[in-house]
Amino acid sequence: MWRVRIHGRGGQGIKTAGQILGTAGFYSGYQAQDFPLYGAERRGAPVIAFTRISEEDILERGPISSPDIILIGDETLLNDPQSAPLCGADPSTVIFINSARIPDQLSEKFSVKTADLTELCLKRLNNRSIYGSALSAVGACLLGTIDLQVFLLAMEDELTQHGISHQMLKGNIDLVSEIFSIIEPAVISQRTEEAITAKSLVSPSLLPVIDGAPIILNPGNMVLHKTGNWRVERPEIDLERCNDCLICYARCPDGVIGLTPEGRPEINYEYCKGCMICAQECAGHFIQTVRETGTFP
Amino acid sequence: MKVLTGPHKKIKDLHPNEAIAPGTGLCAGCGGLDGLRLGLKELGDDFLICNAAGCFTLLSIYPFTPLKGSWLYTTMGGPVPAAQGVRDALDIRLQYRGLEEKENLQVIVVAGDGSSSDIGFGATSAAIYRGLDFIYFCYDNEAYGNTGFQLSPSSPYGSATQTTPSTDEHEAGTEINKKDLFECWKAQKPVYLATVSPREPIDLSNKFARAKKLKGPRMFICMSPCPTGWGFDPKDSQLIAKLAVDTGIFPVKEYFEGEVKHTVRPRKRLPVEKFLERQKRFHHLFEPHRQDEVIQQIQKGVDDYWGQYE
Repeated sequence: MWRVRIHGRGGQGIKTAGQILGTAGFYSGYQAQDFPLYGAERRGAPVIAFTRISEEDILERGPISSPDIILIGDETLLNDPQSAPLCGADPSTVIFINSARIPDQLSEKFSVKTADLTELCLKRLNNRSIYGSALSAVGACLLGTIDLQVFLLAMEDELTQHGISHQMLKGNIDLVSEIFSIIEPAVISQRTEEAITAKSLVSPSLLPVIDGAPIILNPGNMVLHKTGNWRVERPEIDLERCNDCLICYARCPDGVIGLTPEGRPEINYEYCKGCMICAQECAGHFIQTVRETGTFP
Repeated sequence: MKVLTGPHKKIKDLHPNEAIAPGTGLCAGCGGLDGLRLGLKELGDDFLICNAAGCFTLLSIYPFTPLKGSWLYTTMGGPVPAAQGVRDALDIRLQYRGLEEKENLQVIVVAGDGSSSDIGFGATSAAIYRGLDFIYFCYDNEAYGNTGFQLSPSSPYGSATQTTPSTDEHEAGTEINKKDLFECWKAQKPVYLATVSPREPIDLSNKFARAKKLKGPRMFICMSPCPTGWGFDPKDSQLIAKLAVDTGIFPVKEYFEGEVKHTVRPRKRLPVEKFLERQKRFHHLFEPHRQDEVIQQIQKGVDDYWGQYE
């Protein structure tokens, strides 16, 4: 059995990536299982998808804790403790990161591969934030057991369900064909299965009612919850040209554009989710869009 | 042409207070959040929000809250009864228990279009009837967005939702017209009633500044472009809100003392297509083949509406 875990952010097509890979495995004659995992949060928040592909019946259920392949769609996730994309990896795990760089330190311990899918998506789909088909194609290439033609069939079936336009489908086919020509199959070592054992039951001790009631007594403590790592792109205000019209300040849904004592706009990058409304709305185009790269551990 | 009804004339006049701290789990580019943020800037921090289950439940995820004011989380149908209870408790304490006026709170209901026009509708109607002193903020993203974008009475004719996709038999997607919540509420003559758009921050702030001074039921319907459900890039959120106003699909108006006044009027209305073509939920009207009949009917609905006032 191959276990693939896919990490990305809401809105990038991560759930779809898991579905395409599962369907492609199934069409290739394997047993397959795919499902996503995400919390209450939305577009921009970390999302995980799981795909199991096997020659035999799949009796495992639930999230994959020790994956054979980890696909990371967004390199900024490597610094995210909530997502923890490397969790459960051992030296035999193949790790793919969508990045233009090679992480030296990580490569010493793990078998790491990278490719700049964002550029490829921009070239083929004219969109830099939807990696669903690209990421699942990388997964199929690394497995090396799924044919391009079978994969394309699976992708078409899945994307058609999402109401994709004919033009976008063609773009996706070109994109996937290019990925199949550049990504080589990886060496995936078969692991010995650890038997699943039942956990012992825990009996809860009685606590005062106040401990069980969801009462928050610290107003405004949401500032402890940083959303800056949701960003794929970063807005940067050119303060030399900015004429302080403050349109960006009024338009920012999260209120992360504040005013300095001099009345100039200032972006708080700890919380900016990177919706890029400010860059779009700035009348003089004084706000630049810069791709986030993050740092490798 | 803009008619100003309050103290603000330019963006620099907006109240500097930020009642909602950043860090919330709402989608990047949420239009409704900008509306609520601008509104609360005006209302100050002395409020108690009764929130109906919906997208804005995510404002406060235990153990975090972005608000400096209070927050009471209720069921989908329960925010207005909760507001009644809170208002009564405050009134009793003010009158008999020595609660000082400075400790009084503004009671605000925050609810989505599903809660407002479906399950919470009856209780709201009853509260307006009783003249409950509260502010109602409805963020209208035209579907049950929090659960994955299913049909609500607010979903417009011709839009696709999870439960009303475009199929061979039902090509238009949603085949029912949007429920006119403004007219429903207006029929009961609340003290103040207005529609607001985050794209018109000055108009929005003036309306909240005006409502703050009044007593009794004060209702707001906020246009809330939803990048996730409507299917557009988050950065276009405000552009979509602008197009909704410019095409005349979303009239920005207020009702006060028996009179309806359009506070932001599009000079020359753009064709509705300009609004429709940018959203995935209307994609089926253009591809694989154009559904001219549906588009014309949407246009006719808009023209008929404005015809009453021209």
